[in-house]
Amino acid sequence: MSTTLSRTRRWSLLALAIAVTSVLMFPIYWMIMTSVVPSERLLVSDPPLVPPADATSFSAYTSVLRDVPVLEWMRNSALTTVGAAVISTVVSTLGGYSLSRFRSKGQQAMGFTLLFSRMLPGTLLIIPTFVLFANFGMVNNLWSVTLVNTAATVPFTTWLMKGFVDAVPVEIEQAAMIDGCGRAGALWRVIVPLLKPGIAATFTYASILTWGDFLFARTLMGNPDGWTVTVGIASFIGEFSVDWSGLMAVGLISMVPMVVLFLFLEPFLTKGMATGSVKG
Amino acid sequence: MTTEPQHTPRRGVAGPATPRPPAAPERSPALRREHRRRSVFAYLTLSPTLAIVGLLMAYPLYVAIDLSLRGGQISDLLNLEQNPLTLDNYGDVLTDPGLVSDIVRSIVYTLGVVIPAFALGLGLAVLLNKAFPGRRIIRPLVLLPWAVPGVVVSAAFAWMFDASYGVVNYLLRTVGVIDGNVAWLVDSDTAMFAVILPTIWKYYPFFVLVLLAQLQSVPKELYEAARVDGASPLRQFTHVTWPAVRTAASLAIVITGIGVFREFDFIFPLTGGGPNDATQTLAIRIYNEAFQFFEMGTAAALGIVTMAICGALLKAAGRSVRREFG
Repeated sequence: MSTTLSRTRRWSLLALAIAVTSVLMFPIYWMIMTSVVPSERLLVSDPPLVPPADATSFSAYTSVLRDVPVLEWMRNSALTTVGAAVISTVVSTLGGYSLSRFRSKGQQAMGFTLLFSRMLPGTLLIIPTFVLFANFGMVNNLWSVTLVNTAATVPFTTWLMKGFVDAVPVEIEQAAMIDGCGRAGALWRVIVPLLKPGIAATFTYASILTWGDFLFARTLMGNPDGWTVTVGIASFIGEFSVDWSGLMAVGLISMVPMVVLFLFLEPFLTKGMATGSVKG
Repeated sequence: MTTEPQHTPRRGVAGPATPRPPAAPERSPALRREHRRRSVFAYLTLSPTLAIVGLLMAYPLYVAIDLSLRGGQISDLLNLEQNPLTLDNYGDVLTDPGLVSDIVRSIVYTLGVVIPAFALGLGLAVLLNKAFPGRRIIRPLVLLPWAVPGVVVSAAFAWMFDASYGVVNYLLRTVGVIDGNVAWLVDSDTAMFAVILPTIWKYYPFFVLVLLAQLQSVPKELYEAARVDGASPLRQFTHVTWPAVRTAASLAIVITGIGVFREFDFIFPLTGGGPNDATQTLAIRIYNEAFQFFEMGTAAALGIVTMAICGALLKAAGRSVRREFG
């Protein structure tokens, strides 16, 4: 591969890649740029395209952290995200194992459920879900958001995990069972350690989906105390005069946890797509 | 790379081809007990999945169907038996002349997102599959939008599309494409475009992720052989690359398409379905009926109709996708 590509070709590919990436990264660049330039320099007909040296400051960050409960929102998002990601990972590891190792009616049903659950409009699902949680007095309770997001991710992550379990040879757990492990012991001590990439992929997928969830959190958490970061951010957009520097600062702060997680676990996810569900 | 590349590029239609542990046909009591224990374990491990899907998907769906069939003023959503059974909600929804426009807008939005996002994703996947310096830095950057919450994407584009001070207007004015500022999100001619663009930005990385994973499992020798045979880059694409990705590609298109068809996170914060309903897709209309006008019955009926439409489109698309690619 690389040896057969000429030097110039490799560098021109890099140039092309940089050009495309610059265009694609422009929205993020513009968010950063907006967050460090004060509003009076931005709200003009010819805004600067790079932060002017004399007017660059992080005051938007400090004032937004002071005036808006960003950290509360982040905490609520973190609680629902960790909850949903952990539950999804455990549930879909067990479910993926079951679907991979045993031939059952459940297997075909799950394939159908995966597609069907994608067809179910979230905006339809949320109406009865809202009623259901209201019945249990769980509206304005972060558990409701956690559980709905778990339900929204589990069909896909179960399928993803099944792909990873398929790649583990059955002989390995049979050998463990002959050595005296029970079925559950073989699963826990032998299979699960081999599924680390799959667990990482599932955890990343569920986290990103839940952290980004807006519809469920907005509907189920009417009380501003329970807002997640996406609901908080959306409340900015509709305002009469938007504080763009502050909004971009909050947006960037809200991106940090998922971007870090993503950068660490992205290789697993790429691998997961190859071995897992979206494989032919 | 710990996993073996299991992909066979020329496999035809999708089909689960996973190895199964052979079932034991003999019938000794010990084997039967073992068999029973196996199936208990199978259902035990699957039960959390079934419980979650049943409780938070099947049951709400049942309530939604019930709700869509109830008439009168719905005061108590928990005691729907008080309301008479009727098909009026479906009658209202199906005879509403606005329904066709909502469907058309949903389709325009979906195709407007999926086609460019797929093209972009495929192009980037092919590019990132080639060896060049700095590839390891470029790849996560290109995939990054996928990790950004949809609402944050919406906020960024709301600002870039701002009518008075948005950078899009500024750049287009500088280049000379437009003379005056365009109110992208407020003008009903441009609003659809302005909600499609951020959605593309959020969705293209998924295609890169899926297609790149497929391309990486293609043995490099295939390209070598094609080159030795004098195949042009275009022929290499149509004869090596495309056969390797097309199954995953069509599946990813369908999965993304359904996702975009019911997408909420971009249109709702950016326009709420306006101006003059110009961006009101079915998903947005369901939400507005339910939580703005509190027409729960109508909203539920509309939701069921949306699902039916989605299913029909899926079936039609499935057939044409199969014919096109299979």
